[in-house]
Amino acid sequence: MSGIIEVKDLNFGYTPQSTILKALSFEVIQGRFVGIAGPNGAGKTTLLNLLCGLLRSKAGSIKIDSVPIESYSARKLAKKVAVVRQEFVPVFDFCVAEVVSMARTPYLSTFGFESDTDKKIIDEALEMTDTARFASRPLANLSGGERQRVFIARALAQNTDILLLDEPTTFLDLKHQVGIYDLLKRMQLEKGKTIVVVTHDINLSTQYCDEILLLGADSSYQYGSAKDVFSPHKIEKVFGVRGFAGKIGTEKFFLPLGKFAKDAHIITTNINSTTKK
Amino acid sequence: MAEILTAKKLAIKVSICLAVLVAVMALCAMVGTQKISLKKVFAGPGQEPGQNIDYEILVGVRLPRVILAALVGAALACSGVVLQAILRNPLADPYILGISSGAGLGVITAVISGITWKFWGGSPIAVFAFVGALATVWLVWCIGHLTGKSQVTSLLLAGVVINAFFSAVIMFLISIAKSEQLRSTVLWLMGNIIEKDPAVLGVSTVCILAGIIALFSISHRLNILTFGQEEAKGLGVDTAKTTAIAFGLAAFTTAIAVSLSGLIGFVGLIVPHGVRLVFGPDHRQLLPVSAIIGGAFLVVADTLARIIVAPAQLPVGVITAIAGGPFFLVLLAKYSRKVSWLK
Repeated sequence: MSGIIEVKDLNFGYTPQSTILKALSFEVIQGRFVGIAGPNGAGKTTLLNLLCGLLRSKAGSIKIDSVPIESYSARKLAKKVAVVRQEFVPVFDFCVAEVVSMARTPYLSTFGFESDTDKKIIDEALEMTDTARFASRPLANLSGGERQRVFIARALAQNTDILLLDEPTTFLDLKHQVGIYDLLKRMQLEKGKTIVVVTHDINLSTQYCDEILLLGADSSYQYGSAKDVFSPHKIEKVFGVRGFAGKIGTEKFFLPLGKFAKDAHIITTNINSTTKK
Repeated sequence: MAEILTAKKLAIKVSICLAVLVAVMALCAMVGTQKISLKKVFAGPGQEPGQNIDYEILVGVRLPRVILAALVGAALACSGVVLQAILRNPLADPYILGISSGAGLGVITAVISGITWKFWGGSPIAVFAFVGALATVWLVWCIGHLTGKSQVTSLLLAGVVINAFFSAVIMFLISIAKSEQLRSTVLWLMGNIIEKDPAVLGVSTVCILAGIIALFSISHRLNILTFGQEEAKGLGVDTAKTTAIAFGLAAFTTAIAVSLSGLIGFVGLIVPHGVRLVFGPDHRQLLPVSAIIGGAFLVVADTLARIIVAPAQLPVGVITAIAGGPFFLVLLAKYSRKVSWLK
């Protein structure tokens, strides 16, 4: 079995006085699609950085495939966990194929060049993410959505059991948001990858995620199926926002409403009415 | 399908560039105020010194000088490539972290203190430059690590501050120096390729080539370091170790180059950019090709410095700056559409 994340009694703060994550425990089963949600400053990206070994926890443990994360060398961990951060433009003009080929670094020897097997894996990753057609274009000349797919292709070529993503759809339009989630779902279903995605999108993550970890600003947390965790009541409590919650077919949705929304008066009185139907 | 650098492609490109370098070195060795007959050179050295002048000039004077220029050019271009990568800054050059001012301070201290001892039969200025350069880089490295989270920014800031401070000390020392001391210092500051003792040349060749090969061995990790520390860690690179190795090797090769030839500007800045524009940013290719092209560039520049105002000579630093700038602009104009940070 591989691709399992176990977090137990995790505590973390950036200064000795502060605590962002407190007594956090959860387990991600192999091949599941998990969303990490919560308001700004709740520690979502911090948790992601802990899960990929970039930060070290003060107390508590993180185990990847039953081995404490501290026991992995950077190189070994890079064969277990791949990270996709928010897309950016690199300083120098690497083309798409070059960026994706960097994923093979943990597998290369000194004076490393990619073997034929490496190249096959890179080509597959480019194909699956539909980035092969602009493989020779510089990363800087792509749109935000295309760049994000390139970084996902890189993570795929890293050939890890676990894939962590930090808000992969933040700057994308609707079509590309759905496209990215579809791609991630395919990677889960076809390749059996464990996927953990930090997200602000309640509706898409309800559709795609098997489990949700909802972090509160007060270091509280909820972990469970998306449909349980994203109840209108909990959303209101954690995010401090009210809105319409509803269901179409089997899909639940939540539509946040601000104070100045035309229908704001309806939800201030009865938030749960629509979901109970 | 995907266009990725292979060992074979690299070997072909490097071989072609090496052939160009050898051709440039051979041609430049033949050029000079004294015409040289190859026929006489191949006749070998005469029985006594002075019997075969052509041979002595070519083998004893011009070849060592051409080799020295190629070495210094290669070292500067390589450390330019490496510092641009680890600092993630296209404006970085080999001198950005205090090497120039540290070496300069070493040299002016040696000149002003009027030391008389000899080193390998020559002036010990080079030793002072080498020690000054390495000590300063070490200081910058320590200061850069004292301050904070972003290693890269604090390193750059420490380099800028130390450079400014040492430059002020150098100016102070220059202002109190005697005029005959001034000339040798200023000449050194302008950069000069001067024939060296064969033993010095031999040791330097070994050190610089070893440095370049060691840097080449981490070149695929440099690719990832240009994406930042977080990304590099995520791809399995031990960033602290790799940065320290890259930084140390770049400082070492630059310190040797500087102690051999003084401060030669522009090579370490424009050669990496030129090569990147033409060949792309993959460091496995960028590093060796920059070393070779940097060598060829400085050989040509030094030859021009020898012949333009012959029989007098110009400091080669003047040529690299005058020729390098416009040459780089031409490259930029030609390739700028390919490069994102120019947009």
